[in-house]
Parts: sequence; structure tokens; C-alpha cells
Amino acid sequence: MNHPIVESELDAYLDGELADDEARALEAHLADCVACGRFRDERLELRAAIGARMPVFQAPDALRRRVRLAAESSVARPRMARPVPVRRWWVPFAYAASLTVVAAGTWQLTRAGEAAETLTSSVLGSHVRSLLPGHLTDVLSSDQHTVKPWFNGKLDYSPPVHDFAARGYPLLGGRLDYVDGRTVAALVYGRRQHLINVFLWPAARGPSGGRSMKTTQGYHLLHWTAGDYTYWAVSDLGLPELEDFASLLRQADNGSDAPN
Amino acid sequence: MASTTSEGGVESRELERFEAVVVPHLDAAYTLARYLTRDAHDAEDIVQDACLRAIRHFDSFSGDGATSARAWLLAIVRNAAYSARRRHRAEDLATEFDERTHSNAVADAHPEAELLRTAAKETLGRALEELPPDYREVIVLRELQGLSYKEISDVAGVPVGTVMSRLSRARTRLQRALRTEEGR
Repeated sequence: MNHPIVESELDAYLDGELADDEARALEAHLADCVACGRFRDERLELRAAIGARMPVFQAPDALRRRVRLAAESSVARPRMARPVPVRRWWVPFAYAASLTVVAAGTWQLTRAGEAAETLTSSVLGSHVRSLLPGHLTDVLSSDQHTVKPWFNGKLDYSPPVHDFAARGYPLLGGRLDYVDGRTVAALVYGRRQHLINVFLWPAARGPSGGRSMKTTQGYHLLHWTAGDYTYWAVSDLGLPELEDFASLLRQADNGSDAPN
Repeated sequence: MASTTSEGGVESRELERFEAVVVPHLDAAYTLARYLTRDAHDAEDIVQDACLRAIRHFDSFSGDGATSARAWLLAIVRNAAYSARRRHRAEDLATEFDERTHSNAVADAHPEAELLRTAAKETLGRALEELPPDYREVIVLRELQGLSYKEISDVAGVPVGTVMSRLSRARTRLQRALRTEEGR
């Protein structure tokens, strides 16, 4: 393209990788420039063709088994009896749950920081478990008016559900999950190939206070309390995007005036 | 986190980490390996090799958010694929320039490669297979796996600017193939 704007910049724009001001400048240019408009259309066509025709593969079960065995033998203590030789997907979850039990048993000694740590483990365990095949959603729908009623009768509260597809965070569905000793609502949002889990329950239950952020094992966890609910958003998405998402959620909840 | 001692609990912590960091990204790892090796069996070996490396080098994964778990694992997969490729370089060079033989051999040996072979029959699929690996990987990472430029830069070990230009050039090549196809 013989043009003041280089192709890679237009690609970065189409990939959503430009900063807001650069993106706005490029949008203004695109509106006027026929050549760049054609370039954009062709790129979108290519993207669709690749998406439709080039397969994404699933790791074969045999490979998963091999990898698991390799992991176990790699970390196994030599010639020592191991109490539970086969470990499965629920290990992180069970680990988080056992932390909960330990915390409950020593409640009087437990400081707020440790309780928060336990909650973080529990939330992270639920997030990781949800990523395993078949665990992500109980109700698979991008329609907030399908997802919200689905929780009726399953929880003693009716969580606010929003869709941010227009902002690049489509609602993918919801499910029931188990965090810190109670059944909670989990909403699942997408961002490109990334997933965001939002866990929420009535605020009185959770630790009081404002926002906090924690990063562990490559996942970011954002926590805040707003309105009647306490929220956890978990994802391997980059922190700026996850914060962007969280602020959308906060705005939406402020605007929706305590839906019931 | 200590990872070399054999005190009780370390084992379960390591397996727990393995579950959290590696297992959720096995499909992504396998997909990248498939496109880099263009062979189902080789891809499985690469992923297994990479997972072992990942477990041994958990220390190198900070988990502080600078690199996502997925990008960290995919970087190891990529390195494993490239070192396997170097090991079989003579063999590889021989097949690199005979795509037809290579594609058929893959399909005959592994019926599950049918899908890839069907795609490869078309110009677009063949164009992707024929891209140099460092162009092919940015397409796979971006278009099929949706990684951000920063994540791709972590995987490929090159600056974001290089990711941008490789991606753009790779797309232009693929687009040419798509146009040829449509002109048929």
C-alpha cells in the first residue's frame, strides 16, 4: 500500500492493539480513504477465511494421559509410598477447599489477611476448574435475559447480568459454583480467546472494603464490593483489559439500579 | 516457592501448579505444535517434551502477570519445536521443499490429519503451511488462539514491533493466496 499509513498499523488497529487516541485518528482516516477501506475489508475477509477453514486442534486424550504421568513421575519422591497416586482435575479445587477447612478450624487465630488468602485460593480454584472441558457453563447463552432467569430458584439471590458484546466482552453464559462455603453465581465473559469468570454473591457475606487486586499463577483476580454484591473477576487476560472490564461491570451495575 | 526439596507437600503443590498453569493450555500447546511440525505424532512428542520442561522450570514462571501462563507454556512449546527441528534439520530441509510428498506422508501416516490435509489442498491452507515458521506461528497465535501482541512477543521472544511487522507480512502473503483461490 503506497500510503502514509503503514499496513502493520492498520493491522494493529484491526487487532484492537492501538491506543485509544491512535485508534481514533486511524478511524477518522479510514472513513475518508478508499484504499485503506479496501485494505480493511480484505483483511476481515482473510480473518474470516482463516477462522472458518484452519482447524484449532484438541490435545488427544492419550497425550493428556502421557503428560499427566510424566508430571507425576517428575515430581514424585523416589521410592516413597504416595497416599494418592492418581491426581485429577479437582486437585486445585480440593486444595482450596482444604484450606477453607484449616482456616475454619483455627478461626480465632485467623487474621483478615489469611482469610482473604483462603478466599483467593477458593476463587482461583473455581476459575481453573471452570476452564476444564465441560465445566465452563451450566447455561450457555449470550442473552442476559436467558442467563439471569436461569439462576431463579437455584440461588437465594438474583444476580445482575449484563452483556458487553458491543465493548468486546461478550457474555458466554453462567453457572453455579462453590466458593468459600457457599453456592454462588458465576458469569462467564469472553475476550478474544480469553475467558473471564465473574463470581458474585450478596455483599454481607464477603469481606467488607473496597477494591483489591491479586496476581497468582498467571491469573489476575480483581475484587470489589458494589451495591448489594461482592465481586471477583478472574482471568488470564492482561491486567489493563481486566480492569477495563471491571469498570464496565461497575458502571452497568450502578446504572441498572439494583435489579431484582 | 521451593521446588527442589522433597518435603511433604511440595509434590502436591507442584502438581497443583501443573494443573493451574499447564493443563488448561494443552489444546493451545498442541495446536501450535501441530502447525509448527505439521505432523500429529511429532506434535504430541513436542507437547510432552515441553510439559516436562515446564515442570522442571516452574521457577522461571514468575506468575506475577508479566507473562500469562499460556504465553509461558507456548514459548516452551515453540522452543521445543524449534530444537526438534534443528535436530532433524537435514531431514526437514529435504521435505521443506517438497510439500506434496510431505502432506501426503502426513495424511497416510495419521488419518486424523485429514482435516489439515483437506485444508492444505486449498491454496490458503497450503500458503499457511508454506509460510516460514516465524510467520506461521504469529498467524496461529493471533488468528487461531487470539493472543495479544504482547503475549506473542513473549512466546516468540521478539519485540512487539517485530510481531506487528511479521503478522502484517504473513497476512499479506495469505491474502495473495486467497485472491488466487477466488480468481480460479
